[in-house]
Amino acid sequence: MLQFKLVLLGDSSVGKSSIVHRFVKDSFDEFRESTIGAAFLSQTVKLEKHQDVTIKFEIWDTAGQERYKSLAPMYYRNANAALIVYDVTQPGSLVKAQSWVEELKHKVGDQDLVICLVGNKLDLCEADSSVRQVEIDDAQTYAQEQHLLFHEVSAKTGAGIAKIFQEMGEKVYERKTAESAASAATQPRKTLNVELQRPSTNDSTSCCA
Amino acid sequence: MSRNSTTDHFVSAEFGPINGGRPVYLTSKSPSVPNLNETFTEDFKKRLSPERAQSQLNTTSVAEESTNVSLIDLYGGEEDDDEELEQAARNSDVPRSSTNSASADSPRRPSVGKDLSEYDRYGFKKHNAHVSQEEYHEWWDEYSRYCIRRKRKWQDLLEKSGLGSDNDVPDRFPPRSEKLKRYVRKGIPAEWRGQAWWHFARGQEKLNKNKGLYDQLLTNFNERNDKSSGRDLEVIERDLHRTFPENIHFQRQPTDNEEPLMIQSLRRVLLAFSVYNPKIGYCQSMNFLAGLLLLFLDEEKTFWMLVIITSRYLPGVHNVNLEGVNVDQGVLMLCVKEYLPEFWHRIVSKQQSRNNEFLYKLPPITLCTASWFMSCFVGIVPIETTLRIWDCLFYEESHILFKVSLSILRICEQELGIARQNHRVLRNKAPSKDDEDIEIFQVLQTVPKKLLDPQNIFDRIIFKRRISLNNLNQEEIDRCRKYVTSQRLKLKNYADIMGNRPSATGGAKRDLTMGPEFVENALSSEVYGFRRSLTAAHWNNSIKEKVRQIRRK
Repeated sequence: MLQFKLVLLGDSSVGKSSIVHRFVKDSFDEFRESTIGAAFLSQTVKLEKHQDVTIKFEIWDTAGQERYKSLAPMYYRNANAALIVYDVTQPGSLVKAQSWVEELKHKVGDQDLVICLVGNKLDLCEADSSVRQVEIDDAQTYAQEQHLLFHEVSAKTGAGIAKIFQEMGEKVYERKTAESAASAATQPRKTLNVELQRPSTNDSTSCCA
Repeated sequence: MSRNSTTDHFVSAEFGPINGGRPVYLTSKSPSVPNLNETFTEDFKKRLSPERAQSQLNTTSVAEESTNVSLIDLYGGEEDDDEELEQAARNSDVPRSSTNSASADSPRRPSVGKDLSEYDRYGFKKHNAHVSQEEYHEWWDEYSRYCIRRKRKWQDLLEKSGLGSDNDVPDRFPPRSEKLKRYVRKGIPAEWRGQAWWHFARGQEKLNKNKGLYDQLLTNFNERNDKSSGRDLEVIERDLHRTFPENIHFQRQPTDNEEPLMIQSLRRVLLAFSVYNPKIGYCQSMNFLAGLLLLFLDEEKTFWMLVIITSRYLPGVHNVNLEGVNVDQGVLMLCVKEYLPEFWHRIVSKQQSRNNEFLYKLPPITLCTASWFMSCFVGIVPIETTLRIWDCLFYEESHILFKVSLSILRICEQELGIARQNHRVLRNKAPSKDDEDIEIFQVLQTVPKKLLDPQNIFDRIIFKRRISLNNLNQEEIDRCRKYVTSQRLKLKNYADIMGNRPSATGGAKRDLTMGPEFVENALSSEVYGFRRSLTAAHWNNSIKEKVRQIRRK
């Protein structure tokens, strides 16, 4: 199975952990403990567009407070996908999200990374439209300019959650297969396998086994 | 005293809703945990003296009140207890509804619509995704007996030291000694913890030097309407309800108009701290430190304990740049290299291991272990284990955190050994480095949550006589922290000079005479050396025994 590393970024309390928990465990808690440091979860996705392809997301959920930002490079090193979350009722959180986009493009390069911008807490707007502080058009326009995937979701109701992972999965998979095809064209066929399953170099016992 | 009057008193007077035009941040610096005990132990409350009920009603006072009521009786969750608790929950509902007449039209539900037997004596949920109900009860049956035995020992010790206290929480403890240390390591009675922590951490000393400051900070905050700490304020506000959301004292009950007292106290403590120490301000994880303290101490004491923890035990760990936590992770990595060499080789490549680079570019597992330090294991291991760690922390200082970390890593190592064998059998090949990192991270993330029994790390690893961890004392940790701090600085400068990362200061000029080999040699020549005894702690112990004999003579 193909495995992809996905990192969640965004301001504190926008609902990063809630999104992951909805996706991985299909559950929601109104009050969830603040994430300190990092949490790791994984979940598989069956791609709709590509029959018989199942991929596994290895998800790194991070702490949102500004000062934890210095730890972030450890998370997004070698990441294939990034989910950048903001809260549709908190305009400041979109600004934070944009600065994450900048940072990723600067440090990782968007060639290697599928980025999805996600506005969370849509359920709050449905209950009372006056709480919305970030217009969908504004966020969408920004996402288009930056070539990001974009969705508004609710971790609470589950609306849109499966879709973001489905879409990211497809995109990451397509990029990976295109890359492999490109490298297979220029290099001997063998490298494809080598890339996917790197043998451990410093483990002598495995050779004898 | 009738049930009604006590509860009335509790609701309306002492912890009454904050109105009457008083500023929100300056209401009663109430000690903590009353609500649950009110409902929990309606029956036991009658045995409380009236004065006590009026003064500090926290978890501790209830259980401490009479020693002939055992902890098991109070909190064991045995079948007959459940009945009692349910009864208590029903009773407590009556006076509550009658006092909250202001909003009489709202539907009256029992104040706690929950099965109270699911909560432990601190208001935490007994079982969860990691600990099943059966596991919990099986363990608690044993451990609660242990707690009672230990409490008797403590009572004897205090009596012998002339500090016997008629079943009251002692406010003085015997002078430091090997014996007292042993007692602390085996656990302070839960009911005494607040006082004991305060005493051992020398909290009163700190408070005496700063009398009135806590109130002052809150007043100033209100008057200034501080803008500079506006950012902290916002983050604090967001975290209040994300602090122990599963703990009953931190939850808003359906019938409550006001937010829980705990949340109000937590807000004040964190705000006061952010003004008191702008270098730290507010750092996520401090909500858990303050939250746990509030279950055992009043607000002002909690504040000073937070000051002590963040300065004495975890210096720099919560600072804006988090450098302190990185230093401590560097120290922990050196300890792993020294004490868990096999595990070390799984997390760090040979090349990185050689030249100390890992002190600067910390291995991925430190993403996990960093949170162990930031929150002092709150939420990392189950509550009783956390409390035992805190007992030692305040008596023995921060080296205990490293010892605990090493023991947990050791347990993880065993777990990983098994996992790896399975992996081999299944896949017939070794996993890649990335796969392995993830596997380790997952184990590190879940194994601690299952460490229900504190004995698993205390008696079986940390304080086991024959283990070399004995050499890892506070002096060693302090020395190691200094070393890592200076090494990280050098490595950072080196990285800046070599242009591996954009120079933050711009002051670091490229010095052509300092080629990479030169720097690398200079750095690697300063290898940290742990103090080692002559291979065996046996030797140490026999010396100790001899010294004891000599003293006796």
